[in-house]
Amino acid sequence: MNIANLFTNYEEAIAMILFGIGFSNLLLQRNLIKKIIGLNIMDTAMYLFLALKGYIDGHKAPIVTDGIQSVDAYINPIPSGLVLTGIVVSVSVTALMLSLTIRLYRRYHTLDLDEISTRLKKEGL
Amino acid sequence: MNGWILLPVFLPVIAGIFLLLMSQCERRRLHQAAGAVLVISAVLAVAAAWTGDKSVTLFYLMKDIPVYFHIDGISRLYVTFTSIVWVCVGIYAFVYMEHEGGEKRFFGLYLIVYGVIVALDFAGNLVTMYIFYELMTLTSAPLVLHNGSREAVMAALKYLFYSLCGAYMGLFGIYFLYQNCDTLAFTPGGTLNPVLAQDHRTILLIAVFAMLAGFGAKAGMLPLHSWLPAAHPVAPSPASAVFSGIVVKAGVLAAIRTVYYVVGPDFIRGTWVQTAWMVLALVTVFMGSMLAYREPVFKKRLAYSTVSQISYILFGLSLLTPMGITGALLHTVFHAFIKSALFLTAGVFIFECGKTRVSELTGIGKRMPKTVWCYTFASLALIGIPPACGFVSKWYLAEGALNADVGVFGWLGPVVLLLSALLTAGYLLPVTMKGFFPGKRDGEKTSAGNSEMKSSAVDIRDAQKKEPSMMMLIPLGILASLTIILGVLPNPLIDYISQLISGLM
Amino acid sequence: MQFVQNFPFMTIILSLFSGPLSSILDGKKAKRVNLAVMSVITVMSCAVLVFVLNSGSSYVYTMGHFPAPWGNEIRVGILEAFMAVFFCVIMFLCVVGGVYERERELEDTKQNLYYVMVNLLLSSLLTLIYTNDLFTAYVFVEINTISACGLIMIRQNGRTLEAATRYMIMSLMGSGLLLLGICFLYDLTGHLLMSNIREQVQLLHQSGTYNIPLLVSLALISVGLAIKSALFPFHAWLPDAYGYSTLSSAAILSSLVSKGYIFLLAKIFFRVIGFNIVRDSKVVNVLFVFGVAGMIMGSINAIRENNIRRMIAYSSVAQIGYIYMGFGLGTTAGVLASLYHVLSHAATKSLLFVAASGITDASGDNTEFLELTGAGYRNKLAGVAFTVGSLSMVGVPMFSGFISKLLFAQAGMESLHKMLPTLIALAISTILNAVYFMKTVIRIYTPVPQKLLQKKGFRSVSVKEQPYKSAALVFFIILNMLLGLSSEPVIRLLRSGLAMFS
Repeated sequence: MNIANLFTNYEEAIAMILFGIGFSNLLLQRNLIKKIIGLNIMDTAMYLFLALKGYIDGHKAPIVTDGIQSVDAYINPIPSGLVLTGIVVSVSVTALMLSLTIRLYRRYHTLDLDEISTRLKKEGL
Repeated sequence: MNGWILLPVFLPVIAGIFLLLMSQCERRRLHQAAGAVLVISAVLAVAAAWTGDKSVTLFYLMKDIPVYFHIDGISRLYVTFTSIVWVCVGIYAFVYMEHEGGEKRFFGLYLIVYGVIVALDFAGNLVTMYIFYELMTLTSAPLVLHNGSREAVMAALKYLFYSLCGAYMGLFGIYFLYQNCDTLAFTPGGTLNPVLAQDHRTILLIAVFAMLAGFGAKAGMLPLHSWLPAAHPVAPSPASAVFSGIVVKAGVLAAIRTVYYVVGPDFIRGTWVQTAWMVLALVTVFMGSMLAYREPVFKKRLAYSTVSQISYILFGLSLLTPMGITGALLHTVFHAFIKSALFLTAGVFIFECGKTRVSELTGIGKRMPKTVWCYTFASLALIGIPPACGFVSKWYLAEGALNADVGVFGWLGPVVLLLSALLTAGYLLPVTMKGFFPGKRDGEKTSAGNSEMKSSAVDIRDAQKKEPSMMMLIPLGILASLTIILGVLPNPLIDYISQLISGLM
Repeated sequence: MQFVQNFPFMTIILSLFSGPLSSILDGKKAKRVNLAVMSVITVMSCAVLVFVLNSGSSYVYTMGHFPAPWGNEIRVGILEAFMAVFFCVIMFLCVVGGVYERERELEDTKQNLYYVMVNLLLSSLLTLIYTNDLFTAYVFVEINTISACGLIMIRQNGRTLEAATRYMIMSLMGSGLLLLGICFLYDLTGHLLMSNIREQVQLLHQSGTYNIPLLVSLALISVGLAIKSALFPFHAWLPDAYGYSTLSSAAILSSLVSKGYIFLLAKIFFRVIGFNIVRDSKVVNVLFVFGVAGMIMGSINAIRENNIRRMIAYSSVAQIGYIYMGFGLGTTAGVLASLYHVLSHAATKSLLFVAASGITDASGDNTEFLELTGAGYRNKLAGVAFTVGSLSMVGVPMFSGFISKLLFAQAGMESLHKMLPTLIALAISTILNAVYFMKTVIRIYTPVPQKLLQKKGFRSVSVKEQPYKSAALVFFIILNMLLGLSSEPVIRLLRSGLAMFS
């Protein structure tokens, strides 16, 4: 283990730091909207990480235009596909979370989940 | 095919379920149906037991764990006395349950429990026995909470909790035995694999002790005894009778099966397990008698007496000698008859006069002499006064202890037994004495004061002579006379048991 | 290739597309379509099971025309086919059992949306069972989460909304970790297909390089799926979600949704990483500790609970603990016991939820304990069913719970260090189970005076009044007894399926 590794692989390090930021926001923020922002940061960090894994320095996008069939010319396309799929998933999850938040806000006029819980207990529902 | 030996198991269970599901019907019809099923299954059970050794495998619960029934000497003995007591108490209950209500439910469950107990007696391996042991606990619990009062529910919960705890301690042991035994099928002398047993000696001893303590919960052995005095007073008297006479004996049966048929007596002879078992049994004997002596409520007194008497049996078993086991098995049979007779008399007192406390029973002998005579005979048998039967079993137990190689317990055992017998006399006989010789009335001594007590005491003494109905008196009489007959002519039973044991040791 | 081999794929597609179809139908028709689809899927899965049993080996079904390292695959063995059948049956019974509650509690315009969710959930469960591709598994884990969330929040009150939000937050954290773990694995091995990853992982393991990243990714995946399946202490959302959602949602969520994740975890252990590596890693010990803690804490919470449905929900926490404890033992026998418990718990917990609703029906829809007194007499079948479920949970012989406890104990005996903790935890949790379930059973069989009943307006519920629910209950009871009495064929099936797994 060498601290220098962190600097040579700084992209991965950044992705992990972003993941950490997103994860802790999702876990610790009281405000629902901030939680959702945390979720999106977390997901974005994952896409960054995946895209990095597919990228090979000096290679081109895997679209055959000038007749070169060799694998060595292109980057790995699979992670890009995974990123796209991931974005779709993340969008739908975010939409669901937002709709839940709207419902809760309409009912309780607050975005604080703990506050909602205490109010529910008071209602005795 | 030996499949028919399961008939006495399934017939009462199915009939019982049918009774429970059926809509309300006429009392007479209910009694006829329940009585007929009871008698037929009892006859079938005894017939199945006494026509030789038979075995049948029902199905496989898991690979190499079958649900397997096998009839051997112990099953025969157990089924016989169970059936006698069950039929007698059942007939008695036809009259008694009138004032408790809920007869359909009671008789339905009564039949189911009988079927389960027959299956328990017939069980041929440890897992089968455990299954029916649990089922017996579950099906008998509703009998305790019959009247649905708060105390009854609490007592039933206590009973369930203690029994389940005990059963799981037993199960804990079964896991270990399963790993270390050649087979879990009951084989006289044990099936412990000698090589494995040597390797895992410590853990196996702990497992066996857990099983003994766990099954001891059902048999009312310390430290898991306190469900008995809670459950008996609230249960209807016939239920208490079979609980004390039969259900607690299941714990004894489980201990016999574990020690003599799976682990083998040689494995625990001389170990701390035997010592601990003996100490627990002796302490329970003494403590049970003491508590009974101080208890004012009649049925609770009898319950404590059961605690103490069952531990006589466990003490006999813990000696691990032929003499000790003979005494234990004899006492098992005798106690079943005696204690159910005693509880039936307690039921008569409740049914006819509504009296539950010993102090209220002064002068009862004038009112129903026959009943009190039955009570007296059974009491004498329990104390162990010849020629009643308790003498025989206690003789064997004491002899067994003196001859066994168990150090200080050789003489301490008989001393405790003797002390406890004195206490037994002390807590049982006052009812007879005060019953027949009430002495001077309280009212005459203390003139006017305490009028309420006076009136309740006067109630019995001035009453006309009035015995309970024949349906109640006859079963009581049968059980009481059995205690005397077996005391006068114990030899066939002793011969049978010693023959049984010769194969065991 | 035989035609039957197409069935797994077809079942997934069928349920996936009947979802959108339901969205344009009205409630009644959607229900019929849903039930028909589920029966068809059950039959097809049975055919697959028979086929796999006959052929004696698992087969790979290539999706599209791309061969192994790049394409997407389905892999079907005995265990997968059996689980598919079992999940379909349980889901069918849950949906049937909760018909009345749905009609009463959901708005008319939303009836059909319920079946959209059910269909999506079924298709995602089937995919989790069958797929051989890790990323597909991730995507369907998310679909599973979304549809489960829909099932919770479709009955709208404050509690369910809050529970659904909490559930989503927990699940999203879990799936974030899962995705990270999967990306690490992809980074390490360059594959997404399970069998290919396994080859590479075994090579890595032998060469001794990249051990720490491997361990990290294994830990991330395990923790992610553990969070999603509500392992203690990640269970905060569970009691509300199960306690206040509509009946069939609660039954489906407790018996199936968490089980889908657990099955995926078993699959990752055996097929992706290889069980030898999992055993050597310390991850199993962590699962073991949390499993044991869950067994005990779940039961303690259940004892303190005063609402019957929340009590059953807390009992789920304990049962999930059992399953993770089995995984944590790190032996094949332990995993086998866990899988058996998956079946047993699925059959029992849904039975308990449906029976509890029958009991509350007879108590004026009250869920508080005191109001349930004597309900066993007012709704006889529900009373019996609840008793059966309770006995099974406590682990009384003849019912399914006993067998799984027996298997756990046997598996525990094999492991030297975990033997005592396992047995002690089993004993304690059994006793705790007995306390709250027996308390409830006795409560519902304690007679109440007729006058009081009339005053409260409680009425008896007969079997004829609720034919669907009663039928579901009867089938659940039969299933439970089957698992308890003739466990041997099932265990043999699981064992051979597990052998075929890797």
